Amino acid sequence: MSLGGLPAWRDYLAMCKPKIVALMVFTAIVGMFLAVPGMVPLDALIFGTIGIALAASSGAVINHVVDRRVDAIMLRTKQRPLARGNLSMESASLFAMALCAASMIILVLYVNALTAILTLGSLIGYGFVYSMYLKRATPQNIVIGGAPGAAPPVLGWTAVTGTLEPDALLLFLIIFAWTPPHFWALAIYRCDEYAKAAIPMLPVTHGLAFTRLHILLYTIVLFLVSLLPFVFYMSGVMYLFGAVILSGAFLYLAIRMQFDHSNKLAMQTFSYSIVYLMALFGFLLADHYLPAAISLYAFI
Amino acid sequence: MQTDRLLLNLTHVTMVFTLVVILLGAYTRLSHAGLGCPDWPGCYGRLVVPVDEGRIAEANQLYPDRPLEHGKAWKEMVHRYAAGGLGLLILAMTVIAWNRRQADGQIRWTPFILLGLVIFQALLGMWTVTLLLKPIVVMGHLLGGMTILLLLVWQLLSLKYAGRSRLPGRMYRWAIVGLVVVYLQISLGGWTSANYAALVCPDLPTCQGSWWPSMNFREGFVPWRGLGVDYEFGVLDTPARTAVHVSHRIGAVLTLIIAGLIALGSIKDSNPSVKQAGVILLSLLLIQFSLGVANIVFKLPIGVAVLHNGVAGLLLSAMGILMFHTRYARDQH
Repeated sequence: MSLGGLPAWRDYLAMCKPKIVALMVFTAIVGMFLAVPGMVPLDALIFGTIGIALAASSGAVINHVVDRRVDAIMLRTKQRPLARGNLSMESASLFAMALCAASMIILVLYVNALTAILTLGSLIGYGFVYSMYLKRATPQNIVIGGAPGAAPPVLGWTAVTGTLEPDALLLFLIIFAWTPPHFWALAIYRCDEYAKAAIPMLPVTHGLAFTRLHILLYTIVLFLVSLLPFVFYMSGVMYLFGAVILSGAFLYLAIRMQFDHSNKLAMQTFSYSIVYLMALFGFLLADHYLPAAISLYAFI
Repeated sequence: MQTDRLLLNLTHVTMVFTLVVILLGAYTRLSHAGLGCPDWPGCYGRLVVPVDEGRIAEANQLYPDRPLEHGKAWKEMVHRYAAGGLGLLILAMTVIAWNRRQADGQIRWTPFILLGLVIFQALLGMWTVTLLLKPIVVMGHLLGGMTILLLLVWQLLSLKYAGRSRLPGRMYRWAIVGLVVVYLQISLGGWTSANYAALVCPDLPTCQGSWWPSMNFREGFVPWRGLGVDYEFGVLDTPARTAVHVSHRIGAVLTLIIAGLIALGSIKDSNPSVKQAGVILLSLLLIQFSLGVANIVFKLPIGVAVLHNGVAGLLLSAMGILMFHTRYARDQH
């Protein structure tokens, strides 16, 4: 990467954290498809997706603005546009506001007010409550801060139905239980850097062993939570098998982490957690559209 | 609706007999008598284990690599005779069910699946011998037996409570989850036995003095190795066997948690049958867990090992009973 040689739009794009936003949008789209039996109405699908993606991007940009000093200290984030001084704080803030405004306009005009309100709430939760306050306040930062990250499937759901339903909250619960083991695996890997930046991540404040144990405990909770869509008649047998196998593999890594303290395994667990979430939601989606006969609905 | 007494009684007998065949099979395997007869369906070419001198000499000439051992050969043959008897019972049951298909306006599908399964079990039984105790065959044979037991339990209940309409209760889908979890754990247990991995960890709860000994999961779970390998006493090295063993232990804890929660949830149910199934389930879980611990502490005594297999069957049955009572939950009120 050549320093300063990148066009400005690349910096703007980088501030949106496109990979994370893509994962969130994927869970939002799955939420949309699960909300209805047949095909999702096209306007909800298109405008809902764009609105949620814009809001998620806006949150990411706000996070860049808030974290610019810390980012400059940490190796992982040193290259970020604001940390490097490629973009000014003013232009980044303006960009975030524009994204947020565009998202709200699209959601209010073409989707529904409930989705707009919930999306704004998640945006504030992530961009301000988590980034500005929680992250530096408590080692439970990412547990509580996981809530806005778990919102997208609910937003996708309400974009289609216009109401909050228990099934949507189940999807929320999955991501909520998934976030701590997912993030702490990374935090173990980056522990020294968080310590240097004086951010009270769990491994910094309570040590690596304690964090590993909590990864294991949350993975057990995640295992149970991943079974709930089947238990509450949202999904069929195919999803059940997928969930058991995927969660079993996650559990295997979490158990291994208790004894294998290498950074390599922590990173492997982190990577797997991303595959896990995508595959689990993939199973939810596939199961939803599987012909009833194959899904054994007739029997179950 | 009237209960089909004949079919009900026959199912009862067949179900108990199946448990006996499962225990005999476990006893055969765990006393290393699985290759007591190197051929199939006869033993050293005969219908009955050769007893007199001339025939023994003849048998040993036929299989010079595996001279006849009476104790082992008899164990193997008793299991085969019993399994043959079970096959005949299921055949009779299927014929009766077919003849009565019009009686209550519906076809019972379980006897036909059972017939197919028992035939497939005979094939798997043959392959355990001819493929020299190939682990996947040994495990499949175990799971086949367990499935026959489960289906018979289901058939018994649906005959006994004929006419109930389907009305799933709050624990219904939990029971299915429990069924999947117990099945997976039985598979891991079968894999542990088939790979002779039960004694690789002499201590508990640690294994070889460590919480995480040297293990090779990739090697431990290779499903299919070449043909013509003799798998008696196992082919895996210690790290691979340890991986298999520890997987079964982790599975045990997980099964205890999930099935335990399901049992507790069932005990709190308003339906007395569900409540009862929950109590039975919880008791069996604790017994099974203790038997697993005893297997390690006492170094796999044959009695405990066979019981561990038998209670696994009961545990699966209890989960099936729970599933049945939650599937037809509120009808009895």
